[in-house]
Amino acid sequence: MRKLASAAAALLMMGSAAQAATEIDFFFPVPVQGKLSTEMTRMVEGFNSSQTDVHVTPVFTGAYDDTNLKTRAAVAAGKPPAAVLMSANFMREYAIDQKAMPLDALIAKDGKTPEAFIEQFFPAVRPNATENGHVYGVPFQNSTPILYYSVDAFKEAGLDPEKPPVTWQEWVDAAKKLTKRDGDSLTRAGLMIVEQYDTLGWLTSGFTMSNGGEYYNRGWGGEVYYNTASTIGAVQFLDDLVHKFKVMPEGVSDANAVASAFFSGRAAMIVNSTGALGFVRDNMKTPFKVAFVPRAIRNAVPIGGASLIIPEGNSPERQAAAWKLITYLTSPAVNGSWSRFTGYFAPRMAAYDLPEMKDYIAKNPDAKVAIDQLAYGQPWFATFNTVGVRKALEDQVQAVLSGKAKPAEAMAQAQKDADALLRPYVEQTALKLPQ
Amino acid sequence: MTAWLLLAPSLLFLAAFTYWPVIGVTLRSFTQQRYGQQASWGFDNFRRLAADAHFGHVLTNSVLYAVGTIIPSLALALGFAMALRRPGRLATVLRTVLVMPQLIPLVAAAALFVFVFLPGEGLLDHYLAYFGRHATNWLGSPDLALWAIIAITIWKNTGYYMLFFLAGLAGIPDELIEAARVDGAHGWRRFVDVILPLLGPTFGFVTVIAMVNTLIQIDHIIVMTGGGPSDRTNMILYYIYQQAEQNQDTGLAAAATVLCVGGLLLLSVLSLRALERGIHYES
Repeated sequence: MRKLASAAAALLMMGSAAQAATEIDFFFPVPVQGKLSTEMTRMVEGFNSSQTDVHVTPVFTGAYDDTNLKTRAAVAAGKPPAAVLMSANFMREYAIDQKAMPLDALIAKDGKTPEAFIEQFFPAVRPNATENGHVYGVPFQNSTPILYYSVDAFKEAGLDPEKPPVTWQEWVDAAKKLTKRDGDSLTRAGLMIVEQYDTLGWLTSGFTMSNGGEYYNRGWGGEVYYNTASTIGAVQFLDDLVHKFKVMPEGVSDANAVASAFFSGRAAMIVNSTGALGFVRDNMKTPFKVAFVPRAIRNAVPIGGASLIIPEGNSPERQAAAWKLITYLTSPAVNGSWSRFTGYFAPRMAAYDLPEMKDYIAKNPDAKVAIDQLAYGQPWFATFNTVGVRKALEDQVQAVLSGKAKPAEAMAQAQKDADALLRPYVEQTALKLPQ
Repeated sequence: MTAWLLLAPSLLFLAAFTYWPVIGVTLRSFTQQRYGQQASWGFDNFRRLAADAHFGHVLTNSVLYAVGTIIPSLALALGFAMALRRPGRLATVLRTVLVMPQLIPLVAAAALFVFVFLPGEGLLDHYLAYFGRHATNWLGSPDLALWAIIAITIWKNTGYYMLFFLAGLAGIPDELIEAARVDGAHGWRRFVDVILPLLGPTFGFVTVIAMVNTLIQIDHIIVMTGGGPSDRTNMILYYIYQQAEQNQDTGLAAAATVLCVGGLLLLSVLSLRALERGIHYES
């Protein structure tokens, strides 16, 4: 028996000697259709063959929300993945719940301060990666909403395709000219936006910020500003597009409905993510252009996308290995190549100084518009209970779009629902006063 | 002793994956603990559930969904079973066709139906356009979305329930129907007074299955509407998921689970009782 045990021990030791590399796993989601999963696997293989210290197994974990659930479950079970590509609007919850570790110590080992580190990324993506001055995530892929419009429809309506609408007023005027009706029914909508859960909250936050508002408290996760003039005005604008100007269809249109209406000529302008650029390029049969989302008081678009995080509960060895992977994936060359493949923009600014990236931008003017609009990028909505708090607004905006509620009362209700969800956190933070 | 040993493996699984979770979720439903708080016992979760307007909507939707799917799909299933109970080449083909939807996973069917219901370009609107109907936002209108979901559920389940009725009908002895015929009972009389009572056990079984289905079949809702617009197609199970996973409020989720599993248990017992009262079991 003892012989057997020592033989087993010897075998184990041999195993670990032959396998000097640290084995880690990496969770990644694929939020859009296409060949992204294969490309991610190829990139990780590139990392594995570039060095011998770390061996990474990439694990495809579904959509952003699925990846969040699987990561939470793995952390709770005491077997966290070493690195995760996490939707940036969950970052604050991970920091609040202490499910992701601050990366400051790892950054310090590379001889950088957290400030100097995060300054390598576009200003718009920084707030969603940091919390109270600590870096929790490294931005990897990002997008913003953008206006897509049909060149043929513009010409037919007597509009100049080189001069897309810039303000909300011009937007409404253009949409009226572009709309075609048969009785009460729209045969070509002047404008459509994606109104399903998740995207609707994202777009509404953009309209609110463009209308001068702030939408949520950027410094603390316990407050949202739904029942304010800027939000009510933005929602009234959406209501008017449907019920006053009648240039947008009533009810809720999801991403499929919006994209197919645009492809078939049943929508002249749409608002969708820059992440859909590749999809639209592949499927739109007539010429199209993209432009900044028109503004009310100021240009403002919310940032979407994902950052790389290290969940709590990993050993220092695994942390170091994960950091090595993260550093590789967010290097200008790798980050830039992922951007060209997917259509996301590269958050790492230096990626755009590389010749291959300059080449790509020159060949794809629509990608340039997306990058230029980034100057007006604002952080993504992030609070305690982000999804539920966002849904509180979305339920009400959907009711307005369906003609079942009026903006002012709808936003009062949304505020009430959101406050109830935020209450437990508020009680433990802002209202927890010295005894 | 041998009996217990033979039972042990399944008992172990039942205990680990059914009984223990049932006890766990019941305990959790009476545990009051929200973000950063100490845990204590009480009815707070149930109180919050009763006060939550969303839970009210979800309950209403679930009842509509249950009534709207169970009655038509059972009626259709029984009708098809009656029409196709005699063996024959055509009957076999038609039976196969009717059971086909059962072979497609609900989530895959839902992904296809998204494109059937697409406003304007979808299959449904494409054909309705011949009748002069304009594009309809089937899944995006709060007045239509739930009915679209109900229609898919009926399409999906009818064939499955028909199989049970076919089996039930095959178990009815021909002599009884013959005897009724000799006594001068017409087709409808024979159906109401002979066949239906004899199908009692089948009805009891299928009704319970159908009720459980309305609780657990939400795959298509997740794929097609996400519970929207404005919670109009949200169901109890998805609500429980939202509370537990999106809002990290496992107390509320546990309370909702206990309430709806308890309610379902009660309904199942009641419907079995009611249906069995008039049931004739063969000895």
